[in-house]
Amino acid sequence: MRDTFIKTLLAQAKTNPEIVFITGDLGFGVIEDFQKTVPDQFINAGVSEQAMMGMAAGIASTGKRVFVYSIGNFPTLRCLEQIRNDVCLMNNPVVIVSVGAGYSYGSQGYTHHALEDIAVMRALPNMNIYIPADSIESKKITEYLCESNSPSYLRLGRSGEPDITRHLNTSMPNKIIDIIEGEDGTILFVGPIGIRVLAAEKIIRKHGKKVSIASVPFVSDLDLEYLAAAANKGPIVTVEEHSNRGGFGSLILETLNSLGTTCKVKVVASKQLNLSEIGSQSFLQNQNGLDEDSIANAYMACLES
Amino acid sequence: MEFMSKKSPGKVENLIPSEVLAQRARIEILRMTSKSKASHVGSSLSVVDILSVLYSEVTNISPSTVTAFDRDIVILSKGHAAAAIYSVLALKDFFSLEWLNNYCADGAQLGGHVTSKNVPGVELSTGSLGHGLPYGMGIAISRKRSKSDGEVYVVMSDGECDEGTTWESALIANHYKLNNLTVIIDRNKIQSLDFTESTIALEPFTQKWEAFGWDVLEVDGHCHKSLLESLQKPSVKPKCIVANTTKGKGVDFMENSVLWHYKSPNENELDKAIAQVKKKTP
Repeated sequence: MRDTFIKTLLAQAKTNPEIVFITGDLGFGVIEDFQKTVPDQFINAGVSEQAMMGMAAGIASTGKRVFVYSIGNFPTLRCLEQIRNDVCLMNNPVVIVSVGAGYSYGSQGYTHHALEDIAVMRALPNMNIYIPADSIESKKITEYLCESNSPSYLRLGRSGEPDITRHLNTSMPNKIIDIIEGEDGTILFVGPIGIRVLAAEKIIRKHGKKVSIASVPFVSDLDLEYLAAAANKGPIVTVEEHSNRGGFGSLILETLNSLGTTCKVKVVASKQLNLSEIGSQSFLQNQNGLDEDSIANAYMACLES
Repeated sequence: MEFMSKKSPGKVENLIPSEVLAQRARIEILRMTSKSKASHVGSSLSVVDILSVLYSEVTNISPSTVTAFDRDIVILSKGHAAAAIYSVLALKDFFSLEWLNNYCADGAQLGGHVTSKNVPGVELSTGSLGHGLPYGMGIAISRKRSKSDGEVYVVMSDGECDEGTTWESALIANHYKLNNLTVIIDRNKIQSLDFTESTIALEPFTQKWEAFGWDVLEVDGHCHKSLLESLQKPSVKPKCIVANTTKGKGVDFMENSVLWHYKSPNENELDKAIAQVKKKTP
């Protein structure tokens, strides 16, 4: 995903000198081509996320489209007030790009797990959140962000995620399109956790139920028509590789509430049971209730309750 | 006093000399903080000479150039000195003097910390310390790379130098050789609860900036001639002007006192203070 992002951005930057890329000294093996090809559009701000974000806002105020790149919580939580005041309050067109969503940096430990970022970024005014499920959505959203003019947050996985939306002709910007169509309810997800949602769908199918599965990359600009129809169809399960407090599931619950729907909803998100647990991404997903059995069980529980 | 302005304004606008501007702004600051019962009169009085020189003698910013692409940029990073910049801007006709009368009132245009929204001449909303320098540095690096004109001036407090972003930016601005960036530090030596040296010692202060690779000048921050000379001195590096000032400058019972970081003058104090300011010949 990050390779797709940087390749897409470089292709755009070659013809658009207003694009500026700032890294907080991260991206080894990923960013070098950008740096070599368009050096005047590249800045390494060093290990100084707060100054980097304030600087990004200042650059954006001169008419540039600035992409700030770092991993995990460094470009979000570490410099939150710079995002709040210098980017959002001033409405400067900065795109914050965080690589390593959820447990992507699994064995590196909790400092490197991005599990509260959606909730925090959701709370900020003027901020738009984008969470692609795979490299295909990453490419489309990156191209979209090069043209848009708002404070934005792009939450990326790491690398090697399978392309699960290849067969979709996603019409931008905010349409939700089913990856799998079904009539017995809906599972909505954000990010590369989609691969486990698709595995859960197979389990659900064995129970004789057919659910719709859909990625929701445009988190801040929800397809309300789709949501209203999904609420009429059956239960809704949300899945995210993020804390179960204030993230994507909370957003869907709030949105369905404002739509006046009464369908059953279950939020599948990390329980964050043991912050110090070490292991791979899939191991930590399993330990925190983000495996396919847990997702399938959440759906089945909706049917039974 | 005659000053050699770096740039003459594009058209004849409000050419009030900086020392007259500062004296009149002091009176407005006192009135605003008294009427609104708002804090930070001492901080505003210490920085007002710096702002007066910047807006009267140094920069090319005027009501007709507030959105010009290559305008000079002034960022008041010590956003709590809002009364100072608002007074200067109103006296320079950026907006109506009437706005000062409603300072901090319900629904007013101007509040207790600097806001840029709908306030001509203000570039950045500030109030949380340590934001102005990184932001100004961003403008400076963008302009340097696109070979655009226009200097960037960031006015900071000395207490603000406790913030990590100050020193992050000091490193970055030096690395990228941002000689279109000038920091002016209102070195009044008092911060929120006590003197800076009793809180978190800053000294040796100028040497710290020098060690970070900046061109450092130390001046009397109430002497307009010295301020102007230091601001006009060419430099191949980012420039840091340590302007030694007195908190509450111009009103003897406010000078050099932590109390007047917070207290606002009552009617009696206001009359005394204005009389003192008026007595001095600019």
